[in-house]
Amino acid sequence: MSQDLERYHRQMLLPGFGEEGQRRLMDAKVLIVGCGALGTVIANMLARAGVGHLVIVDRDFIEITNLQRQVLFDERDVAEGIPKAEAAKQKIAGINSQVTVEAIVDDVNHTNVERFATGLPGVGKVDLIMDGVDNFETRYLANDVAVKHGIPYIYGGAVGTVGASYAVLPHTVTPGETGETPWERAGVATPCLRCIFEQAPPPGVNPTCDTAGVIGPAVSIVANYQVAEALKVLTGNLDVVSPTMLNFDLWGNHFKQFKVARAYDVGECECCKKRNFEFLDGKFGSSTTTLCGRNAVQLTQKFNGSKLDFDEIAKRLKAHGKVTANKFMLRADITDNGEPYELTLFNDGRAIIKGTKHASVAKGIYAKYVGA
Amino acid sequence: MSDTVTVRIPSALRPQIGDQESLDVAGGTVGEVLGSLNTQYPDFGKRLYKGENEINRFINIYVNDEDIRFMENLQTPLKPGDEVSIVPAIAGG
Repeated sequence: MSQDLERYHRQMLLPGFGEEGQRRLMDAKVLIVGCGALGTVIANMLARAGVGHLVIVDRDFIEITNLQRQVLFDERDVAEGIPKAEAAKQKIAGINSQVTVEAIVDDVNHTNVERFATGLPGVGKVDLIMDGVDNFETRYLANDVAVKHGIPYIYGGAVGTVGASYAVLPHTVTPGETGETPWERAGVATPCLRCIFEQAPPPGVNPTCDTAGVIGPAVSIVANYQVAEALKVLTGNLDVVSPTMLNFDLWGNHFKQFKVARAYDVGECECCKKRNFEFLDGKFGSSTTTLCGRNAVQLTQKFNGSKLDFDEIAKRLKAHGKVTANKFMLRADITDNGEPYELTLFNDGRAIIKGTKHASVAKGIYAKYVGA
Repeated sequence: MSDTVTVRIPSALRPQIGDQESLDVAGGTVGEVLGSLNTQYPDFGKRLYKGENEINRFINIYVNDEDIRFMENLQTPLKPGDEVSIVPAIAGG
C-alpha cells in the first residue's frame, strides 16, 4: 500500500471500498452548503475519510451557543470572531493535510449557487452537494442545481430531538428518456427534494434550533447518515444508496424509513419532472434590500401568501427579548452573538432587520429566529 | 382498542394536542382519522390542514411507510393496527 493510503486502511478493508474506492474519494469534489451543526460534522468526517476537495460555503460567524453541537469549532474561534467556513478550513488543515479546502464566506442565493456547484476556478463541477443548511429556501436552491446539472444531493435536517435525511440521485431528463448519469443508467435515480416536500414551510411555522432548541446527537446522527450515503455515492456503490427517507425522534425512541420512489413515478414535480427550476430562477425565495442610512435590511419573502401567525412567533421569541405585536406587525429585540438587533415582521412575511447593513446577516437572523 | 390505528404526532405539533406523542384513533380512512383529531383539537387541525380537505404541502402523511399522496390521499383506507405518521419538513441544521 502506498504511504498516502495508509491512514485510510480501516475503511479500505470494507467490501465495496478497497483501494479503488479510496482513490475515488481522493479525486472527489464535494460542495458543503452551510457549515453549522450538520456542516461541521459532514466536513469533519469527509475530510477524515480522505475526500480530496471540499468547498465549504457559510455566511455566518461562530458564537458561543454553537459550540454545544458544532464539532469543528472551539472557544478560541468565538473569541477571535472567525467565520465558520474559514475556521473549518483551518481545523481540517490539521486533521488531514491531503485534503484541499476552499472556504467561501458568503450567503448562498439564486445568483451564486450555480457558480459554487459548477464553476469555481480550479474546481469546476462538483461530484456531490451536501446539505448543511438551516432553511428550506437554500435547500430548494441546492436541489434545483443538483437536478439541473445532474449532481447527487444529500438532504439533512434536524431540530430539537428529531432529524431527517434523504439522498437525491437526480433524474436529468424528462420522464420516458434515460439519462446518462451512472445512477440513471443503473436504474437507481431517486425523486428530488421537491417531489417529497412540495413546498417550504411558510415563515414562522416551523420551530428552529434557535427558538425550539436542539441536542447535538440529533444533528450528529443526521449528518453522519448523510456522510454514509455520501461515501456510497462517491465510491460508486450506487446500488446500496438508501431509496428511503430516514426520520427519527431520539426522545420518543422512534426511527422510521419512509418509502419515496412513487413520489417521482406518480407525482407531478415542477423541478425534476417538468425541469422547471423555480428557486434558481428567483421565482420563489427571498430578496433583500439594504435600507440606505438606516443600518437596516429589508427582507421580502415570496411564499404561498398565507398570513404569519404572530401569536406563535411571539411565544417563541419571548425567550430572546422584548416582543410586541399588533394586527399588522411584530417587533422583537434579539441579541445574536452579542449584537443587538431589532426585528420588525409584517404579516405577509416581510421583515426589516435593524442593526446591520449586510444582507447575509439579516438572512441569518431571519432563518434562525423566524424560520423559513 | 383493536379497531384503532396509531397516529404519530411530530414534536412541532404536540403542544396543540395535549403534548401527546401518539394517539389511538378509530376510523376507516386517513381523512376520517385526521378529521376526528381536527374536531377534537382545532388548534392542531389549523396547523395540519390548508383547506377543508387538503393537508398543508410542507407536511406529509404516511400510512406505515407509504406516502398517502401516492395512494388514495385522504381516502386511503386503514386497517386496525396501521400506523399513521404526520411528518413535517424539518428545516433546522
